[in-house]
Order: sequence, then structure tokens, then C-alpha cells
Amino acid sequence: MELPKNGKMMLTVASLILGMLFVTLIKATGTTGPVARTDTTLASLVQIGQENDQLKNDLAKLQEEMGKFQAGQNASKVVLEQLEKSKRNSGLTKVTGPGIRVTLDDASNRDTSEQDIYYYLIHEEYIRQIVNWLWNGGAEAIAVNGQRIMGNTEIFCSGAFIQINGTRQMPPYVIEAVGDVNYLQSALNFYFWDRLGEYQEQYGITRRLEVPTEPVVIPEGKIQQFRYTEPVKEAK
Amino acid sequence: MKRSSLAIPLTLVAIVLGFLLTLQMQTQKSVLELEKIQSQRAASVVSFLKDAQEENKIFKERHKELTAQLEGARQEGGASPTLLAELDRYRMMEGTVDVQGQGIMITIDDRQQEHKVVFPLTTDDLLRIINILKLAGAEAISVNGQRIVASTSIVLSGTSTQLVNQVPITRTDGVPYEILASGNQDQLLDYFTNLEAPGLKQYGMSVSVVRKTVTIPSYKGVSPLKEPESR
Repeated sequence: MELPKNGKMMLTVASLILGMLFVTLIKATGTTGPVARTDTTLASLVQIGQENDQLKNDLAKLQEEMGKFQAGQNASKVVLEQLEKSKRNSGLTKVTGPGIRVTLDDASNRDTSEQDIYYYLIHEEYIRQIVNWLWNGGAEAIAVNGQRIMGNTEIFCSGAFIQINGTRQMPPYVIEAVGDVNYLQSALNFYFWDRLGEYQEQYGITRRLEVPTEPVVIPEGKIQQFRYTEPVKEAK
Repeated sequence: MKRSSLAIPLTLVAIVLGFLLTLQMQTQKSVLELEKIQSQRAASVVSFLKDAQEENKIFKERHKELTAQLEGARQEGGASPTLLAELDRYRMMEGTVDVQGQGIMITIDDRQQEHKVVFPLTTDDLLRIINILKLAGAEAISVNGQRIVASTSIVLSGTSTQLVNQVPITRTDGVPYEILASGNQDQLLDYFTNLEAPGLKQYGMSVSVVRKTVTIPSYKGVSPLKEPESR
């Protein structure tokens, strides 16, 4: 196509502008700079908000106890009340109530091949995970093979048995929890539970969930010794 | 004839040019507006955060005060020292009191570094580390300021936010994880360095353990155990 001289120039200029506009357009759509920064601030905000909620709740508890002293109640009686509450919350009293029971057991038809044996056994992390998720589901008290899960309870595999509260536990492992039965059951809906189901089908381990009609009884735990740790006493 | 054949492409170019120009102007306008909104939003989040931090400081101060007052009230009220010692022990067991003692501080850095592939620390790792510390006889443990109690759960919220006691433990600056444990220093150090640290290091994380006199904060959440009479 033949073009007059100034027509060629016009086209060149027009294409140049066109190109420039394209570039700026693309650049404009690609701006995401400040968004990322807001994200981290937002995360800290959520975090500190949660922390504040916890603090508020704890302050209310302290205030309540303080109120009793201020109202002139007998100090020994207030202390005794608090003592009973703390004793119960720390796991030193038996708990009875509605709950669930999970049974895990090694497969009976164990394959002899060494590399596969892993899948035929119940491991410490299975128990630890289930206990973790039951707490997350609002469990009030948990025991494994009759061992109450306390603040210092270890669930540690040392070869042929799993050590819990310093005692040797062998399969089957019976995990019992008192709490809202619906919450506890849905708390178990996590990937790990499904995976155990797959192991059950493929390798023959036992993974059983029961909701007993009779109340579940969680026994009390043992008192803990403190040799290295003491409460921080604030000067008044 | 030649002129008219040129007129059509030129008109087309002019139309496209005009169209793009308006589009460009509009995008520019909306980008500017977006930036304004974003900066406003960022500013409001920042101010919210500042308020929350302020509140946090006040709450902590108040918490300290009240704890001290309560301690005083208990003692002055004439409750027997044996009773108070018993209360202290139960409260240490439930984790509702700040404690101090000899112990260890573990720091774990799982941030990506140059020329190094790092697998981030998972909730499973945290559960395992805490379990080993308990096995080593830890008397109190905290992870990023959250006290570990019997009912502590460690789970993910979304894809990367780790919740301990339902509170996110993500740190925006400094080393991502700080775990404190009180107890027999030799045993804690020995168990952690031999049973846990090698595995973490293999995944590329930087792990350090030091002996330290630690102060471990109290658990401030609600006990899940309901009052016996409420059932």
C-alpha cells in the first residue's frame, strides 16, 4: 500500500502512542504493592485481638475472686473454693459424663515384609493427633487406656509400647473423651482420621468410633511435682 | 482512489486510539482511587492495631496488678500457708499462674534463606517437640507466649496460620518460633538436641537451644471442664 509522506508519519506517531498506552495500561493493572503490607498488619490485628479477648476473660475471673475478698468473705473459704476449682481443672478429680470412645489397634494379619510393617501398627502420633483434635473439639477430659491426659502427659513410643504418664501401654489403645458428643464427633473429621480409615481398609488396623449410651468415666490423674519451677510473685 | 483506501485504516487507527485513550484515563482514575482506598484501609488497620496494642498493654498491666492484689488478699485474709502452697501447686498444674525457673529456650527459624531450601515448621512438628519436652520432664512450656496446658490444641487455620490455644502464633518480626521450657536443664537440653533438633535441621531450619532462667506466662483461656453442678 502506498502512503503519502505525512500519512506514514501520522501512522508511526499513532502506533507509538498506542504502544505507550498499552504499556502503561499493563503496568497499571499490575500494581499490588500496598496490598501485601495490609495483610501482615491485619494478621497482627487478629492475633492481638484474640490475645486481648483471652486477657479480658482472665481479668474477669480475677476480678470475680477479688470481689469475694472485698465483699468481706472469709479468706480461707474463698481460697478453698479456688482450690477445688483448680484441682478439678488440673485433672486431679474423676470426670463422668456423655462422651465418645475411639479404639485403635494394630493389624492382626501382619505382612512379613519389613518395609510395609509401618502401616500395620498404631503409632504415637496417631494417638497424639486424635487427642489434639478432641481438645480442639471442646473435650472436657480425655484418657488413653485409663491414663488421664494432664498438662505434663507424654505420649511417647519407645519400641514395643507407648509410654503415657510414665506407664507402658500396649494396643489396643482406647481413647475416651467427655464432652459434647456432636462436637467431639465432628472434631474427628480431619484428614488424619480419614487416612486411618484408609489404613483400616488396606492393612487391617482397627479404627473404631463409639458413642456409648452410658456415661464415660475419665479417671483422675496424678499430682505433679515441681522441682525447678515456682510461681512468679509480683511485689504489691 | 489511493486516498480513499488510506482513509479507512487511518480512521480505524484513530478510533482505536481514541478508545484506548479513554480507557487509559479511566483505568488511571480507578487505580488512583484504589490506591487511595487501600491506603485509607491500611491506615485504619494500622490505627486499629495501635488501639489494640494499647489495650493489650493496659490489660497486661491490670492483670499484673490484680494478680498481686489477690495474692495479698489471700495471705492477709489468714488462709493457712499450707493451703496457699497447695493452691499454688494446683494452679501451676492447670497453668493459670506465671512461673519462673531454670530451663531452656529454643528458637527455630524456618524462613527461606538464600541458596537453602527450608521446609516450614508444621503443627505436627510443634506437637512432637512439646511431647519430647514433656518426656524430658518439663514442668512448664510455652510456644510464642502461649502456655501449653493439658487442653491445648495446635491446629491450622487456613493454609498457614497456626493456632495454639485458638490464638494465632504468627510472628511478623524476629525469629518465627520461641519455645520456653522449665525443668531439669541437662535433661531438657539432652532430649531436645538428640531427639528433635537433628530432624528439624535436616529440613533446613535454623535451630538454637540455650540454657536460661525462663519466665513462662500463664494460660489465659477458659478451662473446657464444666462445673460439676451445671451438668
